[in-house]
Amino acid sequence: MSLRTAMSHRNLLYLLSLKELRTRYKKSVLGWAWSLLNPISQMLIFTVIFTYVFVAQPSPGDPSGLRNFPLYFLCGLLPWNFFAITTSVAMGNVQGNTGLIKKVSFPHEHLVFAVVAAQFVTLLIETLILVIAMLLAGQNVLVWLPVLLPLYVLWGLFTTGVALALSAFNVFFHDVQYLWGILSQILFYATPVIYFTAALPAVPVGRALKAVATFGPTGAFITAFQNVLYDGRFPSGSKIAYLAVLAAASFALGAWIFSKLSPHFAEEM
Amino acid sequence: MAGDVILSVDHLVKSFRIHQQKTNSLKQLIAARGRNRFEEFIAVNDVTFDVREGEVFGIIGQNGSGKSTLLKCMAGILQPNSGTVNVYRRMGALLELGAGFHPELTGRENIFLNAAILGMGRREISGRFDEIVDFSGLHTFIDQPVKTYSSGMYVRLAFAVAINVDPQLLIVDEILAVGDVSFQRRCLEKFVEFRNEGRTIVLVTHDMGSIKNLCDRAIWLEHGTVIDAGDPADLVEAYTERMLGADAPTSDGSVRRGSGEIKISEVEMFVNGSATAVKRCRTSDSIVLRLHYVASKTIPQPVIGFEIESLGGATVTAPNTRDVGAVPPTMAGTGTIDVALPRVDLLPGTYDLHTSITDFNRAHIYDHVRLAMRFDVMTGKPYETGGLVTMRPQWSMS
Repeated sequence: MSLRTAMSHRNLLYLLSLKELRTRYKKSVLGWAWSLLNPISQMLIFTVIFTYVFVAQPSPGDPSGLRNFPLYFLCGLLPWNFFAITTSVAMGNVQGNTGLIKKVSFPHEHLVFAVVAAQFVTLLIETLILVIAMLLAGQNVLVWLPVLLPLYVLWGLFTTGVALALSAFNVFFHDVQYLWGILSQILFYATPVIYFTAALPAVPVGRALKAVATFGPTGAFITAFQNVLYDGRFPSGSKIAYLAVLAAASFALGAWIFSKLSPHFAEEM
Repeated sequence: MAGDVILSVDHLVKSFRIHQQKTNSLKQLIAARGRNRFEEFIAVNDVTFDVREGEVFGIIGQNGSGKSTLLKCMAGILQPNSGTVNVYRRMGALLELGAGFHPELTGRENIFLNAAILGMGRREISGRFDEIVDFSGLHTFIDQPVKTYSSGMYVRLAFAVAINVDPQLLIVDEILAVGDVSFQRRCLEKFVEFRNEGRTIVLVTHDMGSIKNLCDRAIWLEHGTVIDAGDPADLVEAYTERMLGADAPTSDGSVRRGSGEIKISEVEMFVNGSATAVKRCRTSDSIVLRLHYVASKTIPQPVIGFEIESLGGATVTAPNTRDVGAVPPTMAGTGTIDVALPRVDLLPGTYDLHTSITDFNRAHIYDHVRLAMRFDVMTGKPYETGGLVTMRPQWSMS
């Protein structure tokens, strides 16, 4: 679908996103609280494990000097969850709208965009809670929000590209969703969400992991978020440029793959 | 009436691969490697036609003849293998009502979502919202989740949205068959309104009545190719005969079909107690129709009926023995059935008589004879210049 049809259907995108948000927690007593309970429970688990099981010291934020495991986890966990949930829900959303795709002509990519938009709203709400927690811990993160938000947008673009490619492939081969379940697990540990890259041991495996965690796409983004929120400093200019290239490349590739495959969705489903 | 070409389909071909084992997983793909066996099934084969502005264009054909595939190619849902579809106006395609309704959302929310899926802007939907709700007649339920709706309500809401999308060209696939009679009539009225506004409709339906009454032109698809095109009435006639497995017309022009264990061999008409069979009568005569039957075996509970049709195709009356509780327990051998019509109030003209014998459920046809007899009604008393029957009006002025 061309950009023009996508634009003429922007109302559809808005309403599909609204539907994603509205129907997600229908019929649940806690409703939206669930979206917060998930990262909070993960944070508690990691905190208990690293404080009492594998006893470790949180590295201090540089230059903030903050030493706080739970807050560090959340800085990486919230954007990571956005990535992991968006990609898997997008695959499900395209697959789940088989009836619609087979019966109505409309820009299919909106099914993916809607998930991204809804998850992005969730990410913003969760980040708001994190910001409040940071302020309570004495870290003035408010001044960093104007830096964080553009980075979030780049992360959103990167995620959209991955989600587009995966959900298009998944229509043809349902293995993609299961494979992605495993791959995203591996990717999670290759991304410094629950550990500090600085604390990685200087052995070959540690060095390799450090390189992946620093320069791998997800690692590069997550460390940038940690720089801004936890450390309280600008990511370097070259790093920001790198992130922008990653986001643009991922989005362009994903959109290209999707546009090549989506005309054949109706037949394949 | 017909204006510019609004939709043109040019040498359209669409085929599907029928895999002996559909590869939807990587393992299957790898295991099969180059040996991925499939058969090519050609659903639409070199179809070409134009639809002009302001036309109602019908597509008929059996199940599996490629109608839906053709429509999906026209709607842009499927990609043709070769050939082109060009659409020159805003098009709306109703291939399934309520596709995209979400059960958890309310009727109101679904109206907005569904209209957006069909391509409407937000302001446009707001402007038409009341009209949509009015048409659906669901005012009191509009803020209830759609999952609480009955299937009839669901369809009404879906159609109300679809018809208000306001396309210049509307493609409709077999959706007239839903809803109750009054709703179906409203849908038909809406289509007629559409047509009168000079909009174009492409209609696929098995309801031959709507093809005859609504369409200006039609095509007949069989095995993916157009085997006939032109006047809908002729096409419907030919199609119906083919579908019902009609025998070749007999020498007197009648057409017989059915399984044939029992047949009406002859029909005679006697007027005003005369013993001579005739083929004409006058308005308000008393007549007796004598149906001769031949049964090759014993038939349980046969329902005998006949139909009188005007030359214009209007059914004047179509009584049968089941409606009046006069079904015999069995019939066998040969014999006659007399139907007395004490006063025939038909006005002058030529009428056709068709006969039928079916099983008790009216599902199985033993014998159906179109044009079993043609007869003329001459001027009698009363006489009226228009219409088919007289109601014997009593005028009084004051």
